[in-house]
Amino acid sequence: MRIPAARMAVAVAAGVAMLITAACGSSGPSAPKTSAGGGKTTGLHLTLLIGSSGDAETNAVNAAAKAWGTKSGNTVTVTPAKDLTLELTQALAGGSPPDLFYVDASKFAGLVKANALVPYGDQLPNKADFYPSLVKSFSANGKFYCAPKDFSTLALEINTDMWTKAGLTDADIPTNWDQLEAAAKKLTKGGVTGLVFSDTLDRVDAFMRQAGGSLLNADGTEFTANSPENLAGLQYVAKLAKEGVLKFPKQTDTGWGGEAIGKNKAAMTIEGNWIVGGVKSDFPKLHYKVVELPAGPKGKATLSFTNCWGIAQKSKNQAAAIDFVKFLTSTDQQMAFANAFGVMPSVQSAKSQFTAAFPDQQAFVAGADYATGPTSLPGFDQVQKDFDSKILGLSDGSSNPQSMVDDLQKNAEAALKSAG
Amino acid sequence: MTAPEQELSDLRRATTRRRSDNSAGERTRSRPTRRRAGGIRGRERWAGLLFVGPGLAVLLIFLVVPIGLAFYVSLTRWDGLSSPFGNGAKFTGLQNYRSLLTEDSLTRQNLAVSVRNNFYFVLFVVPIQTMLALFLAVLLNNRFLKGKSYFRTAFYFPSVTSSIAITLVFLFLFQGGGAVNRLLDFVGIRGPNWLADSRGVFHQVLRIFGVDAAPDWAKHEFLNLSWWDWLSGPSIAMCVIIILVIWTTSGTFMLMFLAALQNIPEEVEEASEIDGATQWQRFRLVTLPMLRPALLLVLTLGLIGTWQVFDQIYLTGNNPATITPAYLSYNQSFQNSMFGVGAAISFLQFALIIVLSTIQRRLVGTGEDY
Amino acid sequence: MSARAYSPPWRRTIGYVLLGVFALVYLGPFLIQIATSFKTDTDAANHSLSLVPHPVDLGAWKRIFGYTPNSGVPFGRWLFNSTLVATCITLGRVFLDSLAGYALARLRFPGRKAIFLLVLSVLAVPPVVLLIPRFLVLKELSLYNSYSGMILPICADATGIFLMRQFFVQIPVAVEEAARIDGAGIWRTYWDVVLPLARPGLITLTILSFQGSWNEFSYFLIATSDPKYNTLTTGLAKFSSGSLGSGTQYPVTLGAALLSTIPVAILFFVFQRQFVSGQLSASTKG
Repeated sequence: MRIPAARMAVAVAAGVAMLITAACGSSGPSAPKTSAGGGKTTGLHLTLLIGSSGDAETNAVNAAAKAWGTKSGNTVTVTPAKDLTLELTQALAGGSPPDLFYVDASKFAGLVKANALVPYGDQLPNKADFYPSLVKSFSANGKFYCAPKDFSTLALEINTDMWTKAGLTDADIPTNWDQLEAAAKKLTKGGVTGLVFSDTLDRVDAFMRQAGGSLLNADGTEFTANSPENLAGLQYVAKLAKEGVLKFPKQTDTGWGGEAIGKNKAAMTIEGNWIVGGVKSDFPKLHYKVVELPAGPKGKATLSFTNCWGIAQKSKNQAAAIDFVKFLTSTDQQMAFANAFGVMPSVQSAKSQFTAAFPDQQAFVAGADYATGPTSLPGFDQVQKDFDSKILGLSDGSSNPQSMVDDLQKNAEAALKSAG
Repeated sequence: MTAPEQELSDLRRATTRRRSDNSAGERTRSRPTRRRAGGIRGRERWAGLLFVGPGLAVLLIFLVVPIGLAFYVSLTRWDGLSSPFGNGAKFTGLQNYRSLLTEDSLTRQNLAVSVRNNFYFVLFVVPIQTMLALFLAVLLNNRFLKGKSYFRTAFYFPSVTSSIAITLVFLFLFQGGGAVNRLLDFVGIRGPNWLADSRGVFHQVLRIFGVDAAPDWAKHEFLNLSWWDWLSGPSIAMCVIIILVIWTTSGTFMLMFLAALQNIPEEVEEASEIDGATQWQRFRLVTLPMLRPALLLVLTLGLIGTWQVFDQIYLTGNNPATITPAYLSYNQSFQNSMFGVGAAISFLQFALIIVLSTIQRRLVGTGEDY
Repeated sequence: MSARAYSPPWRRTIGYVLLGVFALVYLGPFLIQIATSFKTDTDAANHSLSLVPHPVDLGAWKRIFGYTPNSGVPFGRWLFNSTLVATCITLGRVFLDSLAGYALARLRFPGRKAIFLLVLSVLAVPPVVLLIPRFLVLKELSLYNSYSGMILPICADATGIFLMRQFFVQIPVAVEEAARIDGAGIWRTYWDVVLPLARPGLITLTILSFQGSWNEFSYFLIATSDPKYNTLTTGLAKFSSGSLGSGTQYPVTLGAALLSTIPVAILFFVFQRQFVSGQLSASTKG
């Protein structure tokens, strides 16, 4: 005979058991419970979040992680993020960030302000070997925060098959804006567009600088986004777009310049070193050469991009992470990365090795001399996104260059004010 | 009552006005319990609390408290990286709401764009999916067609799949050189580069009539967006999402209409046939009024659902042509570390949905009360 | 049967044609998806409408199952997470919602009216509005990035409570009174007598809860960031441009999407009738 109370008890117990199972099924943050930053450096599990440019980069980082893991007796899980900023911010906000992650130079200032990074740079034995400009990008408050992992500059990549087929020779390689326009016109035929590059300030800014403009004034205190020089740069881009000799990846059903040139939708593109790796595995049949960006009315200019290996303040494996970074920034490992996906090592001692090993990437190295880094300002992300979204409209005239730079100026000033 | 009769009486009751209080239960309850001793009543009280306890706890902790916490955060400037109650969060009062509504800022512009996008999304999706669902239901209700259950399965299947998987398929189909444009090529139409095209549909229509740019009166701005931009209609990129959502949810609503149609007593149908009305007249004067509760339900669910669209927008990214308030709130919080603004947007969206639901209720009534 | 047992053949033909066209529209994308997963990238880009791969290429599938040097798709992990989480949430909802629904329908206890009003008002809160708020609470309770955080906050929902209450209210009180007279206690009445009568409601709730939690995306997106908690939905969304850089490799993406759809498709075809009737009763009760 069933007793009501017993049945009740059984049901409640079942419910509680279910909840307990659910709770027990949870595992906390991935780092095991070792003491924070303690000396322990083996048997640990580290997590690394990267913003990958493609399979080549992911595989290379995976290989490096495995190599170090075997050497040190740890394991590393590498995760390529769909949107690094988004996922990193969420992980940081949630209180369980990955142990290591890429830190883009433009996001560095914000992360420092939020006290999310460990300033370990001064502890590195090879800290004097890094390029000074890179160290500067990743220093704040007198501390060298994180080791630059590599750097890249923008250059012009040309599909040599299409080049020769259009009857162009080395003499026609553009060295100024007019020549670029002419070459692009000659190469735009069939389903191919002469020039395709991503619709972002991270490309358009190169043209602005070639026209002599810059986003910030010399001491970085004021925005000069709507200067006539910047406008001139943007207007040049608009002209090419309207003529149809310049298109943006979305208009060719591709995701970025490398894919556009790889899929034969573009004859030329403007990308950084990462295109080398990205194209090698996905489009092995592509023949291309890399040349410096043509000079604008006020001279040569290009943009440089760099990331550093950030170690989370909340990481429980800081000692091991620093050891990993030492491994990753060694000359050998950096050359391995360079081989895999084409970025330039951040240590000066590797420069001669790099230029010897990759003579065709000479243009990228040359660019390092006159390149400028991105704008690092908390809150600038939004402003840039707003500007980027209007670039596509230059093709059909629905975006007006003057109002674009004016809006950029206005929004950037607002961001600067609220960040202060 | 047998189970089918029970079901039938439930459905019949559902189509008439019904008050959802528990007075029916109360009235018959009081008589037997009054005769019993207080012991039963006491046990009942504990049982009641125990039964409702866990569910209530979940609702309180994970629904009510979050709302309170979010309201607090919306009054601060917090980057999410430390405790919201500590030094990391600066109390700024209504500043977030001000920058969203009254100050000329990029934030306000983003909000205006997202509201405009969502508005047109709702405007197109709700009527079209309702009519399509009704049309398919009527089609399937025809007793002279065989194999209806197979077709019903086909129409309903998309509703069962995950929005992420489906959106990826549609992103592929609507590429510039994708399947949809190939189909249009067969008919001689050159399709636009759907997802890259942020031009508004109304603008394109006006262009056909020669109106190429904003007339001067439309250049004035409201919430950082010119009137001309407010009247742009959904962007062509948004149209992809519109088609996607209609395609996915019409199956669910079709089922509801089907149930309601099958509920219409045969005598009513036969009577109207004998009266000699044409098919269209029968539909309009007899069937439609009997469908009113289902219609209102579909409209209500459609409205509430479309103002919350998020999953599909996440996959199309931070594109002003397609952002909606839901995505904007997420983006402001996690991309720009502005949780205060993100939370404020959530509340504004909440308020908007409440206002619209109330208006909709006043205008069209409900058919049955909640 | 009705007086008119005849329908002109031309009308029937039109009916079938319409049904056929719409069936094509509704099923077409899936067919294209299957075909594309067997194409190469260039074939997919150049012949996107064709249902015949040219050549048939298993590269995408090899990649998905990890047979290439490029990173595979942790499909097994995603499936495990989805199954675990969906099952727990469904069990939780069925159990807790029906308990609460019964209490609100039939038991007298202090605060009943207030709690019912709370449930009603919570119904009006759009789930999307709760994304950031829930993230905040998860963070404060240290439930972020955990299975508990994915399950507990949504293992009971106002809609389910309301649904079950409506079902219970319609069971005649006489049934319970008879049980009481027979000497059954409250729990016994509920578990052995009332619950079996509310079976349609329970089935509805089970189907809706399972479908909802299996396809849930936005909540899992904000509840976790560690890839080991990715479900079929969050894993797929993050995979579609994370591992592939910013390229658009559609065969792999669509193949992975197809895999995520298969479990729920199988369940759907097996339990079709329950899905459909569950949807119907939910709509009329709710």
